[in-house]
Amino acid sequence: MFSLFYGLWKYMLSKMEFHVLILGIDKAGKTTLLEKLKSQYSNLEGLPPDRIVPTVGLNIGRIEVSNTKLVFWDLGGQPGLRSIWEKYYEEAHAVIYVVDAACPSRFEDSKSALEKALQHEDLQGAPLLIIANKQDLEEAVSTDELAQYLDLKKLDERAYTFQAVSAFDGLGIKESVNWLVDAMERSKRTETLRLRAGSSVV
Amino acid sequence: MGIVFTRLFSSLFGSKEARILVLGLDNAGKTTILYRLQMGEVVSTIPTIGFNVETVQYKNIKFQVWDLGTFLYTCGKFSLVMPGGQTSIRPYWRCYFPNTQAIIYVVDSSDTDRLVVAKEEFHAILEEEELRGAVVLLFANKQDLPGALDDAAITEALELHKIKNRQWAIFKTSAIKGEGLFEGLDWLSNTLKSGGG
Repeated sequence: MFSLFYGLWKYMLSKMEFHVLILGIDKAGKTTLLEKLKSQYSNLEGLPPDRIVPTVGLNIGRIEVSNTKLVFWDLGGQPGLRSIWEKYYEEAHAVIYVVDAACPSRFEDSKSALEKALQHEDLQGAPLLIIANKQDLEEAVSTDELAQYLDLKKLDERAYTFQAVSAFDGLGIKESVNWLVDAMERSKRTETLRLRAGSSVV
Repeated sequence: MGIVFTRLFSSLFGSKEARILVLGLDNAGKTTILYRLQMGEVVSTIPTIGFNVETVQYKNIKFQVWDLGTFLYTCGKFSLVMPGGQTSIRPYWRCYFPNTQAIIYVVDSSDTDRLVVAKEEFHAILEEEELRGAVVLLFANKQDLPGALDDAAITEALELHKIKNRQWAIFKTSAIKGEGLFEGLDWLSNTLKSGGG
């Protein structure tokens, strides 16, 4: 009986599209990450890093990982553009927060933008993947160090993890995606969003 | 003149080009932008009757740009829409929608009175079935005028956050000064190359 329900649940998940928000301050490497995701998981080429310009709007990437459809929303991170982040919260299943681990001078800005996002009601319970990006650079700090810098409190009730990534050369991308898919499938928020959307699961 | 037609012909039937529609309320600056992109100089324009089509070559992408005037003919028929921009112009744009890869929507950032109309028109365009796959580039134009709203304010006013199924970007532009336009085209050419929305 259990396996029947489990199978049904799996089936429903496979029909569903997960929305993943990619947030972070400007120059963190969000779009580079998106393009890397696209090139590793879909047959799209993805833009080479040197052609990526600051995002002033929304970039979208769609990939499929073992029958799970993921849609990434990559939003611009410049201060003036952060005000639109929250408009995307309600429909997001999970959040990837990208930090330039090689730029300690901006950790404070990163931390406050993240805290602000996490306090938002519409993001309640959304699994959080914090990416210590730019590990290809020598001066990049480790995930442990970054965790100390960010010093996030009240994360206990939220599924979260830190992951060392280089969006430039692809380090840590697979681990990130695997964690995300797993966290979203277990997340209560997924069920909440599915019920709210109602007709979206056909 | 012959060259123009040859170009137009080849661009109509060539396959490598991206078809891009330049849309926006009357007086938003569509034609000025078009000529800026084409020739790099400012041409004083009169309200577009019908449409302007130009092929703009930029960074190995040929943009076939259709500037659909507000005072448009219907497809094939020469019935004019009443001037004044009061009537919705979408029915007349519609025949140019198929095969469009991108929309450049131009907003007069200084015309705050008509931002609501610009917003409504914009979202109605996005609902058009044949434009579903098109990416959206917004030009917050006329930044040279006093009182022009910036990109963040235009984003808010046009409720761009409602777009969740396609890529979009907004750039502050001054068509008169030639600022911001090519940054926008850069974004467009990158986006179209990397697979679009």
